[in-house]
Amino acid sequence: MQRTTSSGALAGARFVDPVVLARIGNLELVARSVVNGFINGLHRSPYFGASVDFAEHRGYTPGDDIRRVDWRLFARTDRFYVKEYEADSNANFAVLLDASKSMGFGSRGITKLEYGKLLAGCLTYLVHRQRDRVGLVVFDDAIVEHVPPSAKHMDVVLHVLDRVAPRRPGRLGPPLKALAEHFSRRGLLVLISDLYEDPQDVLEAISPLRFRGHDLIVFHVLDPAEIEFTYDDASAFEDLETGEQIPVVPEALAEQYRTLVREHTEALAAKCAELRVDYTLVNTSTPLDLVLFNYLSARERLTRVR
Amino acid sequence: MMGFVAPLVLTGLAALAVPIVIHLIQREKNRIVEFPSLMFLRRIPYKSVKRRKIRHLALLLLRLTALALIVFAFARPFFRRDSLAAATQNGAREVAILLDTSYSMGYADRWTRARDAARDAIQKLGPGDRASLILFADGANAAVRSSTNRSELSSALAAASPGAGATRFAPALKLAGSLLAESALPRREILLISDFQRRGWDSSPGKDDVRLPDRTVVTPIAITSAGRPNVTVMPATLQRTRFENQDRIVVSAGVVNHDRAPAHVAVVLEMNGRAIQTQAVEVGANGSSSVTFAPVTVASRNMRGALRIGDDGLARDNVSYFVASPLEPVHLAVVDRAAAERESFYVARALAIGEQPRVDVVTRTPETIADGDLQPGAVIVLNDVAVSEALAARLQRFVSDGGGLFVAAGPHASWPQQSKDLIPAVPSGIVDRSTGAPLRLGALEYSHPVFEIFRAPRSGDFSSPRFYAYRAVDPPDVHALARFDDGAPALLEKRTGGGRVLVWTSTLDLGWTDLPVKPVFLPFLQSAVKYLANFAERPASAIVGQVVPVPAPRRPNSRAQGETVAIAPSGAHVSLAGEDGALELTEQGFYDVRTAGAPADASVVLASNVDPNEADLTPIDPKELIAAITGRVGAAQAVAGPRPTAEAQAEAQRIWWYLLVAAGLLLTAETLLSNRLSRA
Repeated sequence: MQRTTSSGALAGARFVDPVVLARIGNLELVARSVVNGFINGLHRSPYFGASVDFAEHRGYTPGDDIRRVDWRLFARTDRFYVKEYEADSNANFAVLLDASKSMGFGSRGITKLEYGKLLAGCLTYLVHRQRDRVGLVVFDDAIVEHVPPSAKHMDVVLHVLDRVAPRRPGRLGPPLKALAEHFSRRGLLVLISDLYEDPQDVLEAISPLRFRGHDLIVFHVLDPAEIEFTYDDASAFEDLETGEQIPVVPEALAEQYRTLVREHTEALAAKCAELRVDYTLVNTSTPLDLVLFNYLSARERLTRVR
Repeated sequence: MMGFVAPLVLTGLAALAVPIVIHLIQREKNRIVEFPSLMFLRRIPYKSVKRRKIRHLALLLLRLTALALIVFAFARPFFRRDSLAAATQNGAREVAILLDTSYSMGYADRWTRARDAARDAIQKLGPGDRASLILFADGANAAVRSSTNRSELSSALAAASPGAGATRFAPALKLAGSLLAESALPRREILLISDFQRRGWDSSPGKDDVRLPDRTVVTPIAITSAGRPNVTVMPATLQRTRFENQDRIVVSAGVVNHDRAPAHVAVVLEMNGRAIQTQAVEVGANGSSSVTFAPVTVASRNMRGALRIGDDGLARDNVSYFVASPLEPVHLAVVDRAAAERESFYVARALAIGEQPRVDVVTRTPETIADGDLQPGAVIVLNDVAVSEALAARLQRFVSDGGGLFVAAGPHASWPQQSKDLIPAVPSGIVDRSTGAPLRLGALEYSHPVFEIFRAPRSGDFSSPRFYAYRAVDPPDVHALARFDDGAPALLEKRTGGGRVLVWTSTLDLGWTDLPVKPVFLPFLQSAVKYLANFAERPASAIVGQVVPVPAPRRPNSRAQGETVAIAPSGAHVSLAGEDGALELTEQGFYDVRTAGAPADASVVLASNVDPNEADLTPIDPKELIAAITGRVGAAQAVAGPRPTAEAQAEAQRIWWYLLVAAGLLLTAETLLSNRLSRA
C-alpha cells in the first residue's frame, strides 16, 4: 500500500521509473505526485522567485499608476516616487512539445512522447503552483494544439497533453517561427523534442524565440536505444517519419553511430550555449526528478541574474 | 469506337499482379526495425546488402503481355462502327409537341410564331409517325393523344390559344414522358415550343421528378422576341378603416417595370366599372414603385375593383382585379340569468369594442333567445345559466349548423345530461379555493387559434389572473386548451358539425376570478369569439392556378342547399360539389358564385389575377433546361436503334480469336527464353 503525505503526494514518486509512472493514466495525479514529493523533499524552497518583495524606488513619470506612488516618501521628500517590486508579475510559462512521429519511438516501455508528456505535465503543475500562467503548444511540422498561457489553463493543458499522439513527420523551423511571432509577451518556454535536425537548423529555429526575449529551456529527449544503439540483427531500418528503409548491419555501424549522436548532442549543447539557452539531454530511462531539478535551478538562476 | 461484350472479365487483369508479386517476393525477407530517424545511419557508408531488383525484365514483360492478351480475349472486344449507329436513325417516331399557352405567349407576335412552329412540326410527320399535342401552362393537358391523324392535330392546334396561366415546364414534361413511355415506336421525340421563361423552370414544382424514357430526343423551339417594354401591375392590397360607421378601404398596389428604360405609368382605379381615381407613377428601369389611392367607401357587398395601366406588349398583366365587401359584424348574444346584468357587464363591454370582426352584442335570458340569434355564423355566450333541455336541443341544432357556443360555468351553470354530447364535459362540483393561495392558469395550448396571439413572448401574461373557485368537469380527464395550476381544466373545446363549443370552467365576472380586470381578458375573449364565429377575412384577390375554397351563398331560413355554380369571367359555368366546394381559378377576372334559390345579393364574387411573376420575360437558355431534364447538354441524345444482325455482331467481335493466338505465341517465346536463362 502506498503511503501518502499530507499534501497528497505519493511518497517516493519522484524516484519511480518513468515506465511505471507512464502506466498511471491520470496525468494530473502523476504530476502532483512527482512534484509534491520533490518539493516536500527540500528543506527550504529558495528557488521560488515569485515574490512581492520591494526592490527600489523610481521617479514618477506621467502615465504611471498613481496607486503605486509612495505617499509616505512624498510626505518626506515632496516628490513623487513609485515603488517597484521584485518578481513583479506572474510569468508566462509554456511547454512546446514535439509530437512528430519520431517521438512515438520507445524501446523500453515508454515512448519519448509519453516521457515528454509526463515531463510537460510535471513542469506545468510545478509552475502552476507558483501562480504562474501555464500554456502548451504541441507541434509536428505545424502547430497541432495551442493552449495560450493562462492561470486557469492547468486543466486544459493536462487534458490536451493526454490526447496528444504522434501523427505526422516533424520540422522545428516553421512552427517555432510562427510561435515566435505569436508569443508577444516574454515568458519562459520549455522545448521538449528529439531534435532530429542539423544543429544549425535547430539553432535557426529556436533563435527567433530567444531574440524575442523569451527564456528558453531545451529538453532533448532520446531513448536509450537511440543513444546506445543496442541492436544485434541485421535488419531493414525504417524511418518512422519518412517510411524510408535501409538495410543495416548493427555490428558494423554501432560505433560510428554512437560517435555521430555524441557529436550531434555536443554540437547542440554548444549552439544552445551560444544563445544562452539551457540545453539538457534527457534519457527516457532517467527519473523525472532529475529533470525537474534542472528546470528549477535554471529558474533560480534566472531570478538571480535579472 | 471499341467496346466489350463481357467487360467484367477485365477484372481478370488483376491477375497481372501475380508475376510481379512472384518477382518481388524474393526480395527482402529481413525483419523491419522501426527507428525514429535514419539521419545518422544514412551518413554512414554501407555496402552490406544489395537491393534486389527486378531481374529478367524481358521475361516479366512477356508473361505480363501474354496474360493481358488472354484477359482481353475473354472480354470479347468489338468495334462499333458509325454505319451501325446511322442505321438506327430510321424508324417511326413518337412525337410529343409541347405548346406553351401561358399568358406571356400573348406578348407581341409570340403566339403566331409558336403556332406556326407547331404546325410545321405536324406537317413534317412521316407516314408511320404518331404525335401528341400537349398544351401547358400551370398544368398540362393532352389535347391530342398519340394520333396519326394530322387533321385532328391541326384542328386541336387551331383551337388553342394562350390562357391566363403561368409557365411551368415540369407537369408538361411529366405528361410527355408518360405518353412516350407508353409508345412502342422506336424513336421518341419531344418538341418543346415555349418562350422559355426562367421562372417556368426555376419555380416549377416537381421539376426534380421529371423522368423521360431512354433515348428521348428533346428539341427546344425558343419563341423569344425583342418586343415593346412590359410593365406589370401587382395584385392590390386593401387596408380597412372605419369612418362614420362605414367601411372604407385604402387601395395600394405595386407597379413593376421589366424594361431597361424608366417608364411613366398612369394607374387608374376602377370601382364597379367606373374610373374614380388616377395616379401617375414613375418606375425606374428594372424597378418597381407603389401607388396608394385615397380611401374609398365600401357601400355594398362584392364591389368589383380594378387597377389598370396603359397598354403595352403584354395586355394581361396590365390589370389587377380585386373584390371589396363591408365586413359583416358577428352577431353575438350574451345569455345570463334575468336581471343579472352585472354578470355580463365585462363580457358585453369587452366585445363591443371589437373592430375585426365587429361584434353586435345583444343580451338575452334563456327564455328570450330569438331564432335570429341562432343563425349560422353567430355566437352564443352562456354566462353562468342553467340550460334546460329545450334550450340544449336548440343549441345543438345551432352548433351543428355552424354556430359558436361559449359556456361560462359559474356557480349557477348546469347542463342537462341528455344533451351532454354537445359540450366537451359537463360542469360538476364547485372547487373552492378562496382560502390559501389562489389558483392561476398553469398550462395553455399556445398552438390553438384562441391562444395563438399570446404565443410570442411578452404578448399577454396569463399567469397574473387569480382564480378563487372553479367548476370541476365530468369526465375530468378530457383534453383541455388551458388548465389551472392544480391540473384541473380551465378551457375545453369540442367541434360538432360545422360549429365549435368552448367551455370555461370559471366565471366571466369578478365573482370567482379577477381575470375580467386583467389586460389579457379583452384579447382572450375577442380571440375566442373570432374563433367561434369562424371569422376570416376573404382575400381581395387570388392568382390563376390557385384552388380557393368557396363558401356557398346561403339561402335564408332554409337548411337545404341548391346547386352552387361559379360563373367564370368567360361566362362558362363551373359546378361546385358539396357545401363548401373548392374552385380552381383558370381565367382572369371575376368569378361569380351563386346558389340556386339564394338571393342575388347573397352571391360571392372572387377576383382572379394572372401570376405577376410570369410577366418577367427573362428567358432560360433552352440548352440549360434540356441539360437539367436529360442530364446531357444539347438537343439530341444518344440514339441506339435496332440491334445489328447476329452475323454482323460475330464479325465485329472476331478480334478475340486473334488475341488468343498472339497470347499463345508469346507464351511459347516465354518458355524458350526462360529455358535459355535458366541454363545460363
